[in-house]
Amino acid sequence: MTSGLRVNGLHKRFGDIEALRGVDLEVPRQQLVGFLGPNGAGKTTTMRGILGLVAMDAGSVTWDGRTMTEEDRHHIGYMPQERGLYPAMKVHEHIAYIGRLAGLDRQTASRRAHDWADRVGLADRGNDLIQELSTGNQQRVQLAVALVHEPELMILDEPFAGLDPVAVSMLTDVMAEQVEKGASVVFSSHQLELVQDLAEHVTIVAGGQTQATGTVADLRNRSNHRQLEIHWAGEVPSWSPPDGAARDAPPGVSRFVVPAGSDAAVLIAQASAAGPLAAVSYEPPGLDEVFLELVNS
Amino acid sequence: MNWIMVKEVAAREVRTRARTRSFRVITGILVAAAIIGPIVGAVWPDGGDDLREVTVGLVDVDETTRQQIVAFAEGSLDVAFQDYTGVPPAAVDQALSDGDIDVALEAGPTLVWNRETDFEIAGVLFAVLQQQEVLVKGRALGLGPGDIAELLTPTQVEERFADEFGESDEVATGVAFVGLMLALNIPILFGQMTMMGVIEEKATRVIEVLLGHVRPRTLLLGKVLGLAALGAAQLVVVVGGLTAGLLLTNAIDIPASVWQFVPIILVSLLGALAIYNTLFALLGSLVSRQEDASQVIAPVFIPLLAGFLVANGALVGDAETTLVKVLTLFPLTAPLLLPVRVARDVIAPWEIALSLALLVLGVGLLIRIAGRVYEFTLLHTGSRVSWGQLLRLSRGATLD
Repeated sequence: MTSGLRVNGLHKRFGDIEALRGVDLEVPRQQLVGFLGPNGAGKTTTMRGILGLVAMDAGSVTWDGRTMTEEDRHHIGYMPQERGLYPAMKVHEHIAYIGRLAGLDRQTASRRAHDWADRVGLADRGNDLIQELSTGNQQRVQLAVALVHEPELMILDEPFAGLDPVAVSMLTDVMAEQVEKGASVVFSSHQLELVQDLAEHVTIVAGGQTQATGTVADLRNRSNHRQLEIHWAGEVPSWSPPDGAARDAPPGVSRFVVPAGSDAAVLIAQASAAGPLAAVSYEPPGLDEVFLELVNS
Repeated sequence: MNWIMVKEVAAREVRTRARTRSFRVITGILVAAAIIGPIVGAVWPDGGDDLREVTVGLVDVDETTRQQIVAFAEGSLDVAFQDYTGVPPAAVDQALSDGDIDVALEAGPTLVWNRETDFEIAGVLFAVLQQQEVLVKGRALGLGPGDIAELLTPTQVEERFADEFGESDEVATGVAFVGLMLALNIPILFGQMTMMGVIEEKATRVIEVLLGHVRPRTLLLGKVLGLAALGAAQLVVVVGGLTAGLLLTNAIDIPASVWQFVPIILVSLLGALAIYNTLFALLGSLVSRQEDASQVIAPVFIPLLAGFLVANGALVGDAETTLVKVLTLFPLTAPLLLPVRVARDVIAPWEIALSLALLVLGVGLLIRIAGRVYEFTLLHTGSRVSWGQLLRLSRGATLD
């Protein structure tokens, strides 16, 4: 039995468009999973399928090994890609309202609304209308709304879009806290460096299908390429590895992409023969390059 | 149905709508008008006895005739005179042509009109001349003054009306008209509020968050009931203001019979709010943007306006036609027809009961259908849901 969320073989067609053609996604308990894909890959449709907002044509969504029920869905915190808030409601009132709909009693909903407004940095804006807040602050409210009922599973669709660095830091802290407390978190984002730093596991979808899934390190190591970066102690020589392709680099530095099977020691030896080395790195490509490789393939 | 959630959704609707500036302003204006209206009506000069003013030109007519004309015209015409004795006939004709006088009475007697006989004036003048003729002929026949007076005593004719329209009917008709106007306008006001609320939830995508916690039907019912409650509250405040205004001025003595059908008007209005709020919500779910609302709103106005026109006709005309009776039973028009037929006292108690029962059933059925449609249309974005798709959804089909 898998603990947490498991999505298996989701298919969904909208008229002539086949939005999902077999999406698999696993979000174990107490893990933070990045759900990546280009625009139109099927991320949002998959998330809506998990939430029961869109009926799937085929596939399954299970929670702790059994088909996800309506009751299970009450324990999901959802932050949609396009912010979903009532513009004419006050901040505290809105957070508490969603808490009430999620089943909290009036006192608890009110208390949590104040707590979460504080936590997302809106302690002094509780009585302001949503429409009076900046876009970034509205996203903070959206996060509080998603968390007010302390969900077991958080589904965040592009949570970092449009946030300033301070808000990004607050959000990543909150996500980590929730995982620490026992929640499972899945989020989509196009900010791949952030995903690489934040997520333990990543699932990449493209064309309505899951293309790859695993830990960030796993996916990077699975790449057919490696990045060789050499900082020269003197003038940059004209050397390049036999099967390597040069990439743009700052002065005094050479960058190459080489096949994954290349022997790093041999390459370093060849380079040092061409000129004095200051520093060398040989590592798998970053998540952004892995992502592009997978999507383009 | 989770009634706690319904109540929560309804409470939110009431809270957020009641504090909008537009709602407060409209309510304030309505209450002010309800209180001030009767007060203004009570202190405003009533403009006299409203008798028609006519001018009679007299040519060689004596003072007795003049007095008789005034006496005969009392209560029907306000008569003024201009003396044209010694004036050439052409000048009299010119006065008629210019409208300075309505008729000229020449000794003879002759009545001179401009083009057509005015039968209201002619009735008075003929009666005067007829009386003078009787006097002359009576004397010629040797009748004494007592006999002649006896002859001239007007016959006492009692009048009876099959469809008696007394003061209490006037008040009842007035109340029914107010009820009719409310039944037309309140569903439009609160229905559009409901519709805009639904579209706002779709446009802002807050619906995606809500549906994670509540079912579409719960959401729909909460919204419909919340705004219906707000409408009812506004109604109570306005009617309370009107009653206060009437009591303050003591302007109208409202008969007990009128108070008896006020509850039926209020129940009808509640039914109208419930059924039209549901309909507006359903249609609002078909579009994704507020600017597209006009594409789907038209069907609501067909029964509303048809009901209003028929009810308005029944208010002063025949309130027992087959069309009026049928529309009294049709849930979408019943709230408009019921108050009128009750006010006209042309409806049997069983018809009232049946009409209200069908209204309640209609609300229930529409909420059921709307709930089914709502599940699919709430998350539908982009182009609006077509009427064909709506029909399929209402029959229980699904959309791609």
